[in-house]
Amino acid sequence: MATGFLTDTTVCIGCKACEVACKQWNQLPADGYEFTGDSYDNTKQLSGSTWRHVAFIENPKKRRLTGDVDLVALAEDVKDQLPGGAELDGLGRWTFMSDVCKHCVEAPCQQACPTGAIIRNEFDNVYIQPDVCNGCGYCVPACPYGVITQVPEDGRAFKCTLCYDRQKDGLEPACAKACPTNSIMFGDVEDLKVMAEQRVATLHNKGYTQAFVYGTPEVGGTGGIGGNHSKFILMDEPETYNLPRHPFLPQEKFKGGVIASAVAATVLGAVVAWAFRD
Amino acid sequence: MSEVTRESVQQRNGQGDGRPETSHHPETDPERKDKNYYGIPPIKHAHWTWQIPIYFWIGGLGAGAHMFSTVAQLLGHEDEALQRASRYTVLVTMILSPVLLIWDLGRPERFLNMMRVFKLRSPMSVQSWSLLVFGNLAGLVATRQAAEDGLLGNNVLSRLLIRTVPDRLLSVLALPVGLNVGSNTGNLLSATSVPIWARNWLFMGPVFLASGLSTALSWLSLVLRLTRSGEEKTLRVLHRAEKATILIEAALVAASLARMGRWSKPLFSKEVAPLFVGGTLICGILAPFMLLSGRESRPKSLLASLLALSGGLMFRFAMIRGGRISADDPEAYFTFTKGENAPQPEDKV
Repeated sequence: MATGFLTDTTVCIGCKACEVACKQWNQLPADGYEFTGDSYDNTKQLSGSTWRHVAFIENPKKRRLTGDVDLVALAEDVKDQLPGGAELDGLGRWTFMSDVCKHCVEAPCQQACPTGAIIRNEFDNVYIQPDVCNGCGYCVPACPYGVITQVPEDGRAFKCTLCYDRQKDGLEPACAKACPTNSIMFGDVEDLKVMAEQRVATLHNKGYTQAFVYGTPEVGGTGGIGGNHSKFILMDEPETYNLPRHPFLPQEKFKGGVIASAVAATVLGAVVAWAFRD
Repeated sequence: MSEVTRESVQQRNGQGDGRPETSHHPETDPERKDKNYYGIPPIKHAHWTWQIPIYFWIGGLGAGAHMFSTVAQLLGHEDEALQRASRYTVLVTMILSPVLLIWDLGRPERFLNMMRVFKLRSPMSVQSWSLLVFGNLAGLVATRQAAEDGLLGNNVLSRLLIRTVPDRLLSVLALPVGLNVGSNTGNLLSATSVPIWARNWLFMGPVFLASGLSTALSWLSLVLRLTRSGEEKTLRVLHRAEKATILIEAALVAASLARMGRWSKPLFSKEVAPLFVGGTLICGILAPFMLLSGRESRPKSLLASLLALSGGLMFRFAMIRGGRISADDPEAYFTFTKGENAPQPEDKV
């Protein structure tokens, strides 16, 4: 059975319980007190020491308030007819998205790893064996989502393990356990796929036609990656969430590069041999 | 509007026209300078510092030197000074390469884990094994050379080495592996998510190989001229081969730039342009070619060799630094992964 996450960003409230739970369970260090924008996002991105990251995207609606709008009244008392003709979505509100390792079906980091430290475990999760990794850092630029980094103090590369240790004891990952709105769902990827489709269909019926699943072979799991075991329900362009629309498997063209190099080597050899004439 | 809101809005706007500025969406907020998610790079750059470009340089040099001397041997051109210079060069580069690579590891004491598995899909694994095989074969040949030169003394071991090590056979066997060491440095970069490298997967290996051969020929010519050894013909051949290789290198660099398209921008940025335009194009390609194409003279050849050698080194630094800038630029990555630009499995070329 393959396990994975489904992160439904439409019900995420940005409480960061997942980040805290992840850091506590996996004993990860803090990342300092620098904030992005006007929000309390002080981890900024996924890294070797942040395996869950809640992105605070400020006002994803491409609309601005016009006219004399009483913001306080607007926030306290939402009526059908809003003062100033404003729309509720016109308010500067946040979109939250709890980002995590995508656990690709064909994982670029796993293919890049020269030591075999990155494996697929019995839950079909992409897992870095910390006792094997020698910190070459080649998985870092290979990852199309910028998930892995080398931790300088340690030397090795780290990323989400999908709580391998908890799963072995029959527990769900710490982030999914801590999520108060069930934005983070954990389970069999086949079940999660069905749940994602149902949720997107519900959202479409409610009029949120922009909702879609990210991490399928159509969007976000493209270019030979074959989809992700961590899927997301998004409400805006992938780039707004700092995600690539059509990522690709970088090793796909390695064979072609080697063939091109062999041709070049033959030509260069012939040129050197030609230089020996007379 | 309530008093509190009005005040904060006026403070923010300065003019107090009553237009609340609540939007911080990158596409609607004119005050936001950073694009996408606060301009935070969506992919992470490689941590590589100076060890890796220097390794790329000496690795290419070793591969090129081995190629030239082996081709010379195969064509029946016996020049002992050339063989000696080439074999010792390869030996030194193959001793330094693993040192630099292990130095760069986050956990250097675990370097042997590279030999745990052999993965054809992992360019880094292919590189490690190629280095191991090439280094050992070339090392054996160089040891025999040392025994022949009397560096190991006149003893049983030396005689045994000379009698048992088939240097020609080993050199030929090592040739394809050595060439792979040279070209794979480029392929290793292109098999990443970094736009400037990944886009150029077709020419990355060839351009690194050609540049490596050009530095190797320059090095051999420099050494033979400085020590005033080497036959007249060897120097003439080196001179001719250097010119031709520089031309091929120039063509491959041009093809790479064409293939990289808009993602080649980092190579012309303020930080990398001195290395790429000044170092690679002018100092490493144009100047040596001009020096070599005129009438041949010793000082001109020596200068051309030095320029081509340093040009090769600066080319590798430029590619690594350019890759870092490319990875740190969200716009580059998002434009790259938006449509059909990124390499796709069904693409042929």
